Amino acid sequence: MTKKKTAAPKKQSIPSSHSHRHSEGNCVDLLRQLSAYIDDELPSDICMEIRRHLGACPNCEVFIASLQHTVTLCRHRPVPQLTLADRMNMRRAIFDAANAR
Amino acid sequence: MRAIAPKTPPQRPAMQEPDGFDRLYRDHVDLIYRYAYRLCGEAESAKDLVQETFLNAYQGFKDFRGEARVSTWLYTIASRACIRMRRKRKGQPEHELSLEEFVPTSEGEFRLQIPIDGLSPEEALQNKELRQALDHAIEKLPQKYRMALVLRDMEGLSAQEVGTIMGLNERAVKSRLHRARLFVRRELSARGITHHDDHKSGGSPS
Repeated sequence: MTKKKTAAPKKQSIPSSHSHRHSEGNCVDLLRQLSAYIDDELPSDICMEIRRHLGACPNCEVFIASLQHTVTLCRHRPVPQLTLADRMNMRRAIFDAANAR
Repeated sequence: MRAIAPKTPPQRPAMQEPDGFDRLYRDHVDLIYRYAYRLCGEAESAKDLVQETFLNAYQGFKDFRGEARVSTWLYTIASRACIRMRRKRKGQPEHELSLEEFVPTSEGEFRLQIPIDGLSPEEALQNKELRQALDHAIEKLPQKYRMALVLRDMEGLSAQEVGTIMGLNERAVKSRLHRARLFVRRELSARGITHHDDHKSGGSPS
């Protein structure tokens, strides 16, 4: 994944791979930044830190993949189309309600 | 494909003209229905919200100065109408989502237990059980988080536009969006879908 950097949000530290232990809750700082990482909103040095962390931590790697899948599924969630009759009926109802008020 | 709002330049719809409202309605009814359906999760409530939105637009046109895009103006009206309609239904009070509640505590919570490997999103969502799980997870979201998720990830608006619609700064939008995504991820992970259904259920929402 290539990360370009445009904005310069405030710098936050990522837990290093040396101190990483899920059971002790050391991944909360990373958890806070995952959406910004997915959305490509972090500076390149923070992205590199995150990638290093992910390389050393299979659980975090699986977690971020699952979050990316979730976002992708949301983006593709199907929506039904209105029928012509629906459009006409709603239009009529709107004018009826407007005239009644 | 990610839905993108039409890039219409800021302009005041010509509703004083005889056909002005019809044009506004015709050009934007599908956009607002899609948004309403994504917020409400079912067709009848979505249609009610669409009608309320355009009725308010019809009546509030005199206050629209063309400073925002027409679509942004309509999204804002729809969002406020949705909040009012929910208050009338006296649903459960909204609760805040904290990041700490999304930290996995067991091995099984890190991954999505759903069959998506090797499938495109469209193919994966042919699975009716997965579609229902996703719908259920989004429906369970507190409204203010659902609104941020729908506007940003489904309607494809920028954080700045979402902020304008919801009356929030960008930082607050991103915070809500992040929690909403983590919530849906956790719900999907907890649900677990173990089988493919061979795309027999079709792609239409149910």
